[in-house]
Formats: sequence, C-alpha cells, structure tokens
Amino acid sequence: MDFLDQILPLVKKPARYAGGEWNAVRKDWESVEYRVAFAFPDVYEVGMSHLGLQILYDIVNRRTDTLMERVFAPWTDMEEIMREHGLPLFTLESRRPLLDFDMVAFTLQYEMSFSNVLNMLDLAGIPRESGRRTKGFPLVIAGGPCAYNPEPLADFIDVFVIGEGEEVIGELLDILIQLKRRNVSRQELLLELARMPGIYVPSLYRVFYDEDGRFSGIVPSLEGVPEKITKRVVKDLDRAPFPERPIVPSTEVVHDRIMLEVCRGCTRGCRFCQAGIIFRPVRERKPETLLKQAAGLVRSTGYEEISLTSLSTTDYSQVRELVKSLLDEHACQGLGISLPSLRADSFSVELAKEVQRVRRSSLTFAPEAGTQRLRDVINKGVREEDLLDATGAAFREGWHAVKLYFMIGLPTESDEDLDGIVKLAKAVLALGQKAGVSRGRLRVTVSVSSFVPKAHTPFQWEPQAPMAELQRKQDYLSKRLRERGIVFNYHDAGLSFLEAAFARGDRQLGAVLARAVDLGCRFDGWSEHFKLDRWLEAFRLTGLNPENYANHRYAYDAPLPWDHIDTGVSRQYLILEHQRALAGRVTGDCRTGSCPGCGVCGALEVEPVFAGGDWDGGL
Amino acid sequence: MMYAKVGPARFISHLDLLRTFGRAARRAGLPLAFTQGFNPHPKITFAAPLAVGIAGEAEFADLELTRKIPAPVVARALTGALPEGLSVLEVRLQRGSSPPLMAMVECASYRAEAKACGPVTGEELKDAIASFLSRQEILVERKNKEGKKVLRNLRPGIFEMSGKVDNDIIKIEAELKTGSSGNIRIEEVMEAFQKTSRLPVQGGYALFRTNLYTGAGKEKKMLWQS
Repeated sequence: MDFLDQILPLVKKPARYAGGEWNAVRKDWESVEYRVAFAFPDVYEVGMSHLGLQILYDIVNRRTDTLMERVFAPWTDMEEIMREHGLPLFTLESRRPLLDFDMVAFTLQYEMSFSNVLNMLDLAGIPRESGRRTKGFPLVIAGGPCAYNPEPLADFIDVFVIGEGEEVIGELLDILIQLKRRNVSRQELLLELARMPGIYVPSLYRVFYDEDGRFSGIVPSLEGVPEKITKRVVKDLDRAPFPERPIVPSTEVVHDRIMLEVCRGCTRGCRFCQAGIIFRPVRERKPETLLKQAAGLVRSTGYEEISLTSLSTTDYSQVRELVKSLLDEHACQGLGISLPSLRADSFSVELAKEVQRVRRSSLTFAPEAGTQRLRDVINKGVREEDLLDATGAAFREGWHAVKLYFMIGLPTESDEDLDGIVKLAKAVLALGQKAGVSRGRLRVTVSVSSFVPKAHTPFQWEPQAPMAELQRKQDYLSKRLRERGIVFNYHDAGLSFLEAAFARGDRQLGAVLARAVDLGCRFDGWSEHFKLDRWLEAFRLTGLNPENYANHRYAYDAPLPWDHIDTGVSRQYLILEHQRALAGRVTGDCRTGSCPGCGVCGALEVEPVFAGGDWDGGL
Repeated sequence: MMYAKVGPARFISHLDLLRTFGRAARRAGLPLAFTQGFNPHPKITFAAPLAVGIAGEAEFADLELTRKIPAPVVARALTGALPEGLSVLEVRLQRGSSPPLMAMVECASYRAEAKACGPVTGEELKDAIASFLSRQEILVERKNKEGKKVLRNLRPGIFEMSGKVDNDIIKIEAELKTGSSGNIRIEEVMEAFQKTSRLPVQGGYALFRTNLYTGAGKEKKMLWQS
C-alpha cells in the first residue's frame, strides 16, 4: 500500500494531492533526459487557475526529451502530516520527491506567496540558499511578474527568467540538457546560463548599500555577465505555443473554465499598474485563431464555459465579433461565455448582455478612484457619466448586483476623493432603485484595496501611505457606506503594507523572509493564516524596518533595487508619466495611434499587434 | 450505468463527480440532458453518495440523454473520456417503468485495508471483530442538520463483518445498511472499530465499497442481475 494513499484520507480536500486529472501527462521517467517540477506557491485550486502553468506544461511535455510535473503548496493540515511522517514534497504525476528532478520552476504571481516558496523548498528537503545547492540538487528557477523585482528572493533562487516563459523555456532546456551531458559544476552552469538573454543569475552580482543601509547599486561580479537583463517577449502571439489539451481539474478550482487568451498586454497606461508595463506591447490574437482554439478546447476539455481572458478584454479590437461567433458556434451545446471584468461604459454592458444569452453572472467595474481629478492622476480613462451609464444600463437589463473596485492611498489622494467613492456608490445604488430593482435584491458591492507602489511603474518612486493612514481611510469609508444595499469590503492594510515592502524590496529582505518562514509564516495571502506580528518580529530580528521600504519616497536619480531588470519601457517615460500624474494630466491610449513614447517597441524590436481592420469574420 | 471510482478518482467529491461526468459526456460527444434554470446541470442521479476518499468498485448512476443511443456505444464513448480511476463497467438502457436506483439501494458491501505496524494474527483480528459486534450499542456522534450533536447507534446497521490478515495487511469486509431509509457510514464504523480494537495500524484504513444491493442479509440481491 502506498503511504500517501494512507494519509490522504486524513486531510481536507485530498483531491489537491491526488493527480490523475483529465489531460494530465504522466511520462515515462526514464524516457527523457531532463525533468522539471513546476512549483506553484499556493494551493492547488489557485495554481490550477493559472494559464501560464498550462502553457509551460504543454511545451515541456510535448518535447520528447523532457517532462514536466506539478507541485503546489500543501495546505497546512497536509504540511503537518508530511512533517510528522517525514514525507518529502512530491509531484502530482509521479509522486516523486522534488529532489529527484533536474529543475524546480516556481512562478511568482504575488509577493505574499514568497513565504510559500521557501516553505516548499524546506518541505522538499532542498537547501534554501542557492549557495548551498551543489550539482546534485535541482536547479531552482523562478519567473512571472514578481521576477521583475527579484531581489527579495535573490538568495534562494538560482536563476530568474525575465519575461514571457514560452519565449525562453525551449532555449533554456536545450542549454540545460547540453550542460547536463557535459556534467558541469553548478558554478559553471550558472555562468553559462547568465549569458542567455532574459536570464538573471543573482549570485553572479554584487550589491552595494550606503551608510544608511539603503541600496546603492548592483554590478556583475564576473566577466561575461550582463549589466542589464532585458525581458523576453513573444512577438507573434498567434504563432506562440498554445495548450490544446489543458488539464481539467477533477475538483472545483478558482477559474474552472476554458481560458481563451484573446490578447496579451494592455494599451491603457494606468499609472499604478505593473502588468500594464511588463506585458507591453499589446498583442492581440486573430479572431480566426481564437475561434479555432476555442473549438479545439471545447472538444478536449468538455468545459461548459469559455472565459475571454486578458488584462482588458473589452478593449480587444474584435471583441463583439468574437463573442458573436463563439455564441453562434457553441451556444447550442449549452456553452457560456464570461468576461472577467468590464470597462465602465455602455458598450461593455451591451456586450455582457450578448454573453448573457446563455447564463447570467454579476457585473464588475473598476473605476479605481472616486473623483475625476484622481482618475486623471492615475490615468484611468473612466468618466463618471460612463460609469453611471454603464451601471444604469446594467440595472435596466436585469442585473441586480454590481461590484465596484476602488483603490485607496493613491498618490495625491485626499478625503474629498474618498467622499467621491461614497458619492459614486450611492449614485449607482440610486440608479438601481430608479430602474426598479427590488430593495431586497439590489446590491452594490464596494471593494477597496490599498495602493501598492510597484517596480517599473510611473508610481515606483511614490511611498505607500502609512498603514495607520490606510486604516483611517478604510474606517472613513466604512462609516459612510453603511446603507441598505451597499456592501463594503476592504483588504487588510497590514498585508498591503508588507506587499509594498517586498514589491520594492532589496536583497536584504531575503533574511527577513527566511526569519518569517522560520516563525511560521506561510499562506500570507489567506486571511486565516496572515499574521502581521510575526512579520514585524522577523523584520525586528533582522534589524530592518519595513517602513523604509513601503513608505519611502525615492528620488528620480536614486538607484533602485530593480534597475538592472529592463522591461523595455524607458526610465524617461516613467518619469514623464509620474510628472504628468502629479499635474493631473492624462496620457492617450497607444491603441488610438498616438504613441505615448514608452520606448518598448524600439528597445525590444516589437510592435503592437491589433486584430482590427482587415478581418471580416464572415459576419 | 455501472462504474468504478478508484485510484485518484476516489478523492472526487459527490458534487465534483457530477461535473466530471458532465464534462466527460461533452468530450465524448454524448447528448446529456440538462436541467433547466440559471445554473443547468446534467441529469445524472447517483444510486448512493460515496464519501470522499472511499473507492467504489461497482457504483451505479442513472443518466439521461436527449436521444436514444445504443448502450455499448455510450459505454465506449464515456470510458474514453474519463479521468484516471473512473471507468464505465456497463451501461444498460433503462426501461421507463423501473424504479430509480436511489430508491432501490438498501445495503452496501465494503472492504477496509490497512498495513499493520506491529504483529497482528488472524485470530486476534477475528476476536476484535467478534467483541466489536457483541456490543449492543456502538455510539458515534454526528451533527444533525441544525448543527447539533446527536448520538447514533451504528450496531443495528452492521449486517456482517469479518476479517483476515494477509502478511502484514489487515483486510476487513463489512455489509452496512445504506440508502434513504437509513445510512451507516463505513468511515464511522472503522473509526469506532479502531478505537475499541486498538490494532496496530499505520495511517488509516483504505476503504472500498465493493457493491450495492437491494434487500439485506440473506435476502440481498445485486442491484443489477446479470
């Protein structure tokens, strides 16, 4: 009897660890030369909702000489049993321990999953510090959005991949197979990899700090190691590898549907948004490509719903035609379509109405700020009348619940802007009443998160508002949003504070992270596990102050811990955007043809790709 | 449909199983009938729910299609579209008049297996079972619908129980009352048994439901006569 089979009945949601899902690939271990464990530092239900996993899993398993298996962070009940019985962290496919693999590849989607990265290494029996991992240990790599400020994890990760994984993975595996055949030392291997475009090997750099302990620079410590690491980017998304047979989880996951990626990147230029910078330029897929992919996915997965995913799906040039064609082709099979979030205008509501031909879901809008002044500061191109038009139309079309997303603590924000949130929420509620939605069913949910300044954005120099001030703002709103029909919720300010510290953190935070994990921090993104006290204790024991990171205002000429990571967007553009923000001046959408001059196209030799124009789709 | 739910598939919950069969039918191109309403779901009814983690070696479900398709075709198509551990054993066309499966089930047979982590003889196991069954009452706590704890006596619902030791594997077989008129859970029986017998086992018992019956004891009949 398998030991794992004996313990699985003892844990919650054992399907998280069971594997064997539809389209999961179990390759013959001996038939391949190089074996990769894809590690997602959160639970199965979150990790399996991540499209990037499916893309890389498909690429690596399609090759005949490599395999990829999956591992997720075990929930705390499972961790307890694993530690009690000395059961090392294992993959779902072969149930082999991570130590058996050539590579463990983490994806970094969120700063507050860093503790899980370390904890997973611990559970795998892999030394945390990359310096302690010799040839016999798996190579630990990491990619994803948080790799754009890799420094807080620099002590623990051998190799960061900067940019889009599908562009790099093939080349990386080719080199690694060669190096494995040559049986080189770990040091030699790292040096070889450091020469590859888009690869950052943190151990080959020296970091400097000034007398106050503040970051003052980073330089390669060996010849041949690049000073700057430029992101890798897929030029032609239509031809990019795409998983035709994604894994279909047997237990419900967060995004339990087909994820049809209609485009990558976003042209809006919201100044707080990191994804909007690092995924530049926008690249739309052709509708005919998407229709073909969708038809294949419906057959290969059996899903009952297609989600049109991207950073801003209603901006996709051919969105209406695409939705119509998808419905014409698949609605008779009972298939639904969902749009993850809507632009606040009546076009979007009309589109949502079309989609609703099959099934109904609630409508979500993200005005982000309560006044026009502040929306101009953040360059969120939403006007109040657009939002009121959109929500009014939504109520008239039969929706009775609307969700509004806002951010607090944005640069230049005052209480007037908070009053604006209250005013907007009440105006939307009034529209619902006017449209005749019954009192019992009418609901306006106001969801408020705290601004976190992120690396590589125009707001990267801005401080986060002090935690006490964020709490005061939450309290301010809470008192004013007590009304029947309005639901107010907000994120833990302590969590946002730590997120801000790590989002702009330097290499010294590695020690804090290690301490925090030793103190028991994990699953910080889960409110039942997040313990601010432990994190503050970890900072105190390390002699560092999180406020020096989260609440610090950087000067334009100050060295930044992520300066050596190059997104292709110029520093001059970010400075200009920051200045325009403070002046309340908006910047146009690059989709309109007027180039805002971010510099990415020239730097990376790419171009924005739009699906509009010559396609008629036979409509 | 008679199907098996073993291996990794035994961890699929009741609700997820409905979804899994629905998606498998779509992959297989079978025209499953759906319920009406905002949240349509496939018309599949299971003979008796099976708790997460328990393997089912001969489970039963009714499924409704929108048009008539030969039973062997349905079986073949569905088998090729199911995740690891789920397999269709047999499909029969249901006559309109036959009663729903759920109303027929009265008894289920189970097997429980565990690895001994100390010496256990067949005699010791037999004695432990005999003493377990000799009790008038085997009480367990269960929460009722209102969330209140109530005591339930398992003993009258345990129709049969026997066991043997195979090298270091303890194997116990049991027949329990099952269905809408009263349901005894194998996991509760084994927990109570483990508490009193204190046999040295490693981890927990792996549980298998081996068959479902209508009638009980000597009167019992397989749900499907071959």
